[in-house]
Amino acid sequence: MKTKENILLDIKDLHVWYRVYGGYLKVLNGVHLMVREGERVGLVGEAGCGKTTTMKSILQILPPGDFHIPQGQIFYKGQDVLKMSFKELQRLRSREIAMIFQDPTAALNPVFIIGTQIGDVIKYSSAFEENEHKEKIKEQSIKALKEVYLPDPERMRINYPFQLSGGMKQRVCIAMAISSPRNLLIADEPGTSLDVTIQDQIMRLLNEIVEKRKTSVILITHSLGVAKEMTDRIYVMYAGTIVETALPEVLFKNPVHPYTKGLLASVPKISGGGIAKGIPGKLPSYLNPPSGCRFQPRCEQEIPICSEKPPQLFEIEKDHLVACYLTQR
Amino acid sequence: MRNSNQPNNSIAISLLRPKSIFWLNLGKNWYKFSRNTLSIVGLVIVAGIIISAIFAPWITPYPKHAGPFVDFDNTGQPPSLQHLCGTDNMGRDIFSRIIFAFRGALIMAVVVLALAVPPGVLLGLIAGYFQNTWIDTVIMRITDVFLGVPPLILALAIAAMLKPTLMNAMIAVTVMWWPWYTRLVYGMASSVRNEYFVIAADLTGASKFHILFREILLNCLSPVFTKMALDVGWVILIGASLSFVGLGEQPPIPALGQMVSDGARYMPTFWWMTIFPALAIVLAILGFNLMGDGLRDMLETGRE
Amino acid sequence: MKQATNNEILKIEKLKKYFHIGKDKKGPIYVRAVDGVDLNIKYGETLGLVGESGSGKSTIAYTVVGMYRPTSGQIMFKGKNIGLEASRRSLSSKKEIQIVFQDPGSSLNPRQTIEQILALPFRIHTQTPKRQFREKMVELLEKVELSPDYLYKSPPSIGGGEKQMVAIARALASNPSLIVLDEPTSALDVSVQAKIINKLIDLQKEMHLTYLFITHDLSLMRNVANRIAIMYLGKICEVAEAVTFFEKPLHPYTQMLISSVPVISEEEEKLKPKKVISTGEIPSPVNIPPGCSFHLRCPYKMSICSKVDPEMIEVSPEHIVRCHLFAKLESKK
Repeated sequence: MKTKENILLDIKDLHVWYRVYGGYLKVLNGVHLMVREGERVGLVGEAGCGKTTTMKSILQILPPGDFHIPQGQIFYKGQDVLKMSFKELQRLRSREIAMIFQDPTAALNPVFIIGTQIGDVIKYSSAFEENEHKEKIKEQSIKALKEVYLPDPERMRINYPFQLSGGMKQRVCIAMAISSPRNLLIADEPGTSLDVTIQDQIMRLLNEIVEKRKTSVILITHSLGVAKEMTDRIYVMYAGTIVETALPEVLFKNPVHPYTKGLLASVPKISGGGIAKGIPGKLPSYLNPPSGCRFQPRCEQEIPICSEKPPQLFEIEKDHLVACYLTQR
Repeated sequence: MRNSNQPNNSIAISLLRPKSIFWLNLGKNWYKFSRNTLSIVGLVIVAGIIISAIFAPWITPYPKHAGPFVDFDNTGQPPSLQHLCGTDNMGRDIFSRIIFAFRGALIMAVVVLALAVPPGVLLGLIAGYFQNTWIDTVIMRITDVFLGVPPLILALAIAAMLKPTLMNAMIAVTVMWWPWYTRLVYGMASSVRNEYFVIAADLTGASKFHILFREILLNCLSPVFTKMALDVGWVILIGASLSFVGLGEQPPIPALGQMVSDGARYMPTFWWMTIFPALAIVLAILGFNLMGDGLRDMLETGRE
Repeated sequence: MKQATNNEILKIEKLKKYFHIGKDKKGPIYVRAVDGVDLNIKYGETLGLVGESGSGKSTIAYTVVGMYRPTSGQIMFKGKNIGLEASRRSLSSKKEIQIVFQDPGSSLNPRQTIEQILALPFRIHTQTPKRQFREKMVELLEKVELSPDYLYKSPPSIGGGEKQMVAIARALASNPSLIVLDEPTSALDVSVQAKIINKLIDLQKEMHLTYLFITHDLSLMRNVANRIAIMYLGKICEVAEAVTFFEKPLHPYTQMLISSVPVISEEEEKLKPKKVISTGEIPSPVNIPPGCSFHLRCPYKMSICSKVDPEMIEVSPEHIVRCHLFAKLESKK
């Protein structure tokens, strides 16, 4: 897929801490992530590795008062999100970036009909231009519902969320996200709570929409198979750091970081052959994280420098970066 | 280096065995409680009330005024350094009497809750477990009957039927208090009983006793404790309402409501005779409420 | 003990489980969760049960374990009929059949310590004196690779994978013969899943266990099960040995599911059957269409499919399919 050089989103060295009993949970420890215009980027990692925290930082929707960003910058179209004013942030959330959440049931308000909810999104996303009339909003919401292939959009509009199945609700969430033109879509494990065939449909739909509109996408998933089929570039995240990033073909054929290798080995294959033993150990404590590479306590190939300071992302070939001292010799 | 939290010696482990999960997490629980400054304020107020009530004979300036005592030379004195809340129509120091009145109020709260909560919780637990059977219907409809009668009227009716003493006032309030706990626990028990860990216990052959008391009960108690803390304040209020109309503790033993009522006819000239006892009631309710909020933050937030 | 067939530990015959959910003009409405299922499990094997939500796989698991009473049909365990609710079953069948649930968060009591959680099956099913409890529990924890200090921890303070290991330890405590695993790793990460699955396989050999393994993850199933049964709307569509199931899937639904599995490597891509796009929503088990329940979504639908429900046909040894496409083959023989 073509990649224009225009960089839409550039997260540089992001550190995010949460305040808890006993100190700080130092969740993100220098995240680097970059999305170009029209690009589909996958963020792969296990539960608790910081993917959702990163996304929430982009939109600045972290729980207020309890978090602290000691260093890092998030550049969106050249402007640092962390320094934006409230109004600029509002504009960012309503016109530039849209997020599709994991659980569609939780993302929809149960006491309002679908029409109202999509209508609200449309209304607020154009609040900075003329006030749209009710009729126009209705039209636009029906158009959005049609785009996600929901049957009978006029009648769907007046339904409540509980009357819809999981797959339909997820389509509604996607419709809300695309109801007005956006530059970046963040999809947080869409379809994980749904059946495999429905998940397949949803992914297909997302792909179609993204191709048609040339929107950039950040797709968060813990399924490597989904990442392979739906992304142009993949970031692998572990314990709040990006450990490896590459194009999907390269990543799956030639993983370099020990964590990526371990992860790929753990994925069961339909060709059989058993599953590898997994990765020994478990996620480090964020309260007292290791002072060097965060994967070092579980790594079977560590060298002394690994416990001293965290490795930086290092380009080992074009578009393939790894954060590991083993590759930098 | 690998699994750093793994002592190898099992003898050492059994020595270190913590007694209960709550105490194990005491530091974390305190952190959750103290996030809100108001909860600490509440705790301070409550601690102040309890300590002064316990040590009343030793810390009040005029302990004898809380008994049969009159000093007609000193009646109606406004608040001053010698009498922080002034004196009443019999010359007694109001401040000391308030502290002694808290004794009765706290005793009543403790007794009422000790008597009302266990049966209430037990009934709610059983009704919740046997939801949608006749046991549920019988228990909950009886509870509904008690809840349907306006609480204060019920308490007044019972207290008026019996002789006016502190004990009888406590009985009256107890009778109207237990249904709230039944309803609270019923809601929790009926949902906890469908959790997989209860099903797992049942499938493996646990007795009903075990399921009720070892599996379900502990998961219903957090809101009960919070409610108990809040209720102390409300029992004090209901008790004061009863003593306001003369039921409950009889003079010369001081009771907050009685003091408010006695002082009412001297308003507004001798305002301190009513206002200070009334403020004491407000303070108590406020303190227990704030502390109760903190307790709720501590007990009921999802564990990390 | 009389046994139906010597090597079958569990034999399910014509099992039906209907849930009554109300009435309409025509009469009572039922959710036909399980609608006539025949299944057997051999000693020491892992039988995989696969299907989407609403297929009835969890209902079968729960009925085997005793959470539900069958509406009709029989469940024979080691030759004895156990088609009853748990409260009516003998203590020995409760000991012999255990279950591991999907969500580790809610299958362990958050207000108990691990020691208390494990003590329950010990107390009920073994004759171990109380003094030796702790020793035995430490042994059990070692079997699932958890250190002894876990005894004093409580579920909210340990991770999902570890909780699931505790759930497995609890299932092993009574020394069972059959363990039902209902999506045991669906809520977990892939590296944790690998650890648990490997442990389960080791334990099976070590303790001579039989597994009824339920999951929707086909790639996982391929590496875990000896035989696989796929269900749709309460009925079994196909049963085959694992290798055959993936190399020569016969039922259109099987093909549809396998073709939509997201895979990583090229070799797997080649293995997948031709892409069968699934259209429409999954119908609910309340409104099951007449004839073959799958015909509304089937790309190979024939006219008979909307009228007559197909029978199970044995296409080759250990490979049975329920589909009219193969009835023609049968009648040709």
